[in-house]
Amino acid sequence: MRTRTPSISLLLDNLIWALLLVAGVAFSLLTTRFLTVNNLVNVLVHSSVLGIMVIGQSFTLVTGNFDLSAESTLGLVAVAGAFLMTAAGEPSNGSGLMLNPAAAVVVMLALGLLIGAINGLLITRLRMNNFVVTLSMLIIVRGLAFLLTQGKTVTRLPESFKGLGHGSLGPVPISVIVLIAAFLVASLVTRSTRFGRDLYAVGGNREAALASGIDPDRRIVQVYLISGALAAFAAWVELGRLGVGATRIGEGMIFEIQAAAVIGGISLFGGRGTMIGALGGVLLLSFINSGLNLMRVSGFAIDMVRGIVILAAMLLDAQKLRYRQPAGRREAAARLAA
Amino acid sequence: MDAQPYLVEMKGVTKEFPGVRALAGVDFRLRADGELRGLVGKNGAGKSTLMNVLTGVFPADAGEIVVRGRSFSRMTTTLSRQLGIACVHQHSQLIGPLSIAENVFCGDLPTGRLGLVDWDSVHRQAEERLGRLGLAIDVHRKVEGLSVAERQIIEIAKALFAEAQVIILDEATAPLPKHDVELLFGFVRRQRERGVAFVYISHYLEEIFELCENVTVMRDGRAIGDYRVSELTPQALIRAISGADVERFRHAAATVAGPPVLSVRGLSRPGAYADVSLSLAPGEIVGLTGLEGCGKDSLARGLFGLEPVGRGEVLLEGKPYRAADPREALDRGVAYLPRDRHGLGIVGPRSIQENITLPILGRLTNLLGLLSRRKESVLVSELIASLDVATPSAAQPVEFLSGGNQQKVVFAKLVSVRPRVLLLDEPTQGVDVQAKVEIMRIIDRLAREQQVATVVISEEIRELLDVCDRILVMFRGTIAAEFPTRDPSTTVERILHAVEGASQP
Repeated sequence: MRTRTPSISLLLDNLIWALLLVAGVAFSLLTTRFLTVNNLVNVLVHSSVLGIMVIGQSFTLVTGNFDLSAESTLGLVAVAGAFLMTAAGEPSNGSGLMLNPAAAVVVMLALGLLIGAINGLLITRLRMNNFVVTLSMLIIVRGLAFLLTQGKTVTRLPESFKGLGHGSLGPVPISVIVLIAAFLVASLVTRSTRFGRDLYAVGGNREAALASGIDPDRRIVQVYLISGALAAFAAWVELGRLGVGATRIGEGMIFEIQAAAVIGGISLFGGRGTMIGALGGVLLLSFINSGLNLMRVSGFAIDMVRGIVILAAMLLDAQKLRYRQPAGRREAAARLAA
Repeated sequence: MDAQPYLVEMKGVTKEFPGVRALAGVDFRLRADGELRGLVGKNGAGKSTLMNVLTGVFPADAGEIVVRGRSFSRMTTTLSRQLGIACVHQHSQLIGPLSIAENVFCGDLPTGRLGLVDWDSVHRQAEERLGRLGLAIDVHRKVEGLSVAERQIIEIAKALFAEAQVIILDEATAPLPKHDVELLFGFVRRQRERGVAFVYISHYLEEIFELCENVTVMRDGRAIGDYRVSELTPQALIRAISGADVERFRHAAATVAGPPVLSVRGLSRPGAYADVSLSLAPGEIVGLTGLEGCGKDSLARGLFGLEPVGRGEVLLEGKPYRAADPREALDRGVAYLPRDRHGLGIVGPRSIQENITLPILGRLTNLLGLLSRRKESVLVSELIASLDVATPSAAQPVEFLSGGNQQKVVFAKLVSVRPRVLLLDEPTQGVDVQAKVEIMRIIDRLAREQQVATVVISEEIRELLDVCDRILVMFRGTIAAEFPTRDPSTTVERILHAVEGASQP
C-alpha cells in the first residue's frame, strides 16, 4: 500500500506530458496543418510571453502565494517602455523623451521590481492578504497604464528594441531561445539552489521552514520581486513581437497563466510542482489554441474551451490534494488517538 | 421489560490505526440514572479514541455500542446526536461574533411571517431556556466577550437543548482558571441532578476526585480499571494510570566532566517564565516537565529564537548567547524539535532528502551557488541508515511515512546541523510504543557519542525517568523542583506532586 501511493502521485505529477501527447496526436489527426515545422515554431513563438509570465507566477505559487497583478505589470511596463522611447503626439503617442532602448529596458525592469516590492512588502510586513493585495494592484497598475497614454496605443518603437520579440538567429526566433533559456534557468534555480529549496519549504510548511532556519518573509518578498521582474522582461518580448505598446496588453491573461502552471503540476496550495512541468502546461495551452485555430473553430468557442481547460486544471489540483488526504487523515486520526 | 441498568454500554470495542492499536476490546458503561464518570489515562491511552467511537467520529473495527437497550454495531455522528450523546471540546465550537441567543438557536432561528427572523422571540426563548437550566445571563452578549468557562457552559446548555443525555467533556478545564472551574463544576453537578450523565476526561487528577463519582482508567488501548472515586487514593490512581511499560529503555549516564555547554542564569520573560536558571553538561540529558502553560515550551522556543527570550544571562560554551531567529540558533549549534510535527517539523510534500538538508543547504552549496547533489545524497543516506528510517528511497515524500519515521526524519534534520544543544519538545508524541523506544535510543546515542547536551520537554514522566539524567519540574514559570533520576527516592508520584505544585512530602 505504501509503495503504491507515491507511484500514483508520481503519475498525477507528470500527467501533463501524457496530456500533451494526447493533444498533439489528436490535433495532428484532426488537421493536417498542425504537425508542421512552421506551425510548431509558431506555437513556441506564441508561448514565449505566456511562458515567461508562467515562470514568474510559478515562483510565487511554489511558496503558497500568487500574483494576480502580474498581467497588469506586463501591460504597464510595456506601455511605459514604449512611451519613453517614442516621439510625442500623433502617430507615435509617446512622451517625446526618445529614451535609448538600453536605458528603457533598465527603467522597465526597475518598474517591474518596484511593483513586485510593493506586493511583497504589503503581504509580509503589513500581513495583508495576498489575494486582496495583488487584486488591488491588478486594478491600480492597469489604471496607471491607461492614465499614462490616455488609453492611446504607442507606435513606432525603435527597431533595435524589437529584436528580442521579433528577431531570429538563423532560422530560430530569438523569443523561442529566450523561452527555453528562461525555463532552463528557472528549473536550475528551483531544483539546485538553496533559494529554490527554501521556496518549496516555505510553501510546503511555512512553520517548518522557519524552524529550519529559513526566513519565510524574505523569501516571499523575493518571489514577488522575481514575478515583477519577469513580467517586465515579458513586456520587452511582447513589445517586440507586437511592435506597438497597447494599454490592454496582458488583460485577462492571469487565468491562462495560472492554468498553465497548475496543469503543469504547480499546486495552488504551494510546495509542489516543477518549472519543466509548468513549461508542459504552457505548451498544452498553446497546442489547444493553435489546434482549434487551425480547425477554424470560432473565437468565441475557443474562449469557452480555455475556460473549460482552466476549470479542468483546478479540478485536477484539488483532486491531487484530495488523493493525498487519506494519508493526512490517517495521521490526524492517529494524533487524535494519542 | 424492565428498565435498562445502563444508559450507554460499550462492549469489546476495538479500533486500529495504521501501526497503532488504539483500542483493544474496551468495555465502558454509564448508569441509566445519570452519573459523573471520569475517564483518565496517559496521552495515547485511548480515551479520546473511545469517545470518538461513541460519538461516531471513528467507526469501530469490532465491538458493540448499546444505548438505552438498542444495540448498534456502527455508530455515526448523526445517529449519536439523535441518541442524545454530545461532546464539548477544549476549544469552543461556538461562533464568536454572534450573540449567545443566536448561538443557542444556531441553524434553527425562529422565523415569523415572511420568513424573517423573529428576533424578539429568539431572545425571549433563549432567556427562558437558559433560565430553566438556572442560568441568568444577558443573551444579547456576544460569545467572543465571554470567559472560557461561560462559553463551555453555553455549549453544554446547547447540547442539553438538543435533548442530550450523555455529555462528554474532553479536557474541558485545561484552559480554565481555578475560579472558573468551580463555576463549570457547579453547573455540571446541577445537570447531573436532573439525570444527565457526564464523561469527564482530564489530566488533572484532583478534579476527578472533586467532581466524579466513578472513574475508568485506560492504558495502552485497554480499560484496565473501574473504580469508585470514594474508595480510591490519588497514589493508587496514579499507579493505575502509569502502570508498567511494555518495554523499557534505560539511559546510562554519559555526562563528561568539563564546563557546561549551556548555562542559563536568571532568565525571565513576563507571562512565560521567571528567574529560570539551569546548566547543561556535555552529553547530559535533562528532562523538563510541568503542566500546560508552566513555561517549559516557551523556554525552549525562546532559546531557539522563535520567541523573544527575555531578560537574563545565557551562555553557550562560555560565550553570551541569544538567538534573534532560528537561523542564528542553528548556526550556533542549537537545534529544536517542535512539538507539533505536522505544524513545525516536516514539509509534507517534499522528499526525505530535501527535509533533512533544509537547515544546512548553505554548507552543500558550491561557489556557483549550486547544490552538490553528490555530497547531499551521501550525507542523507548516512543519516537514513544511522537513524534507521524505514523508506524505499530518500526521494520519498515525507507525508507518506508513518508517524515514527517522520519523527526520525526530523531527528536526522537536527543531527545534520551537528548540534551542541538539542531542545526536544515532546519528541515521542503521537508515535507508537516501538518507535518511542527507538527515538529514546537516538536521544541517548547522540548524548553518548557526540556529547550533545539535550533538553527533553515532556509530560510523560515515566519516559523522562528512563531517558534523562535529571528532571526539572516547572510550575507557573519557575523551576520548582529537581530530581536526579538515579536517586532511588525519585518516584513518579513525587514528580507528579511537584508538577501539580504541591510542596514536597
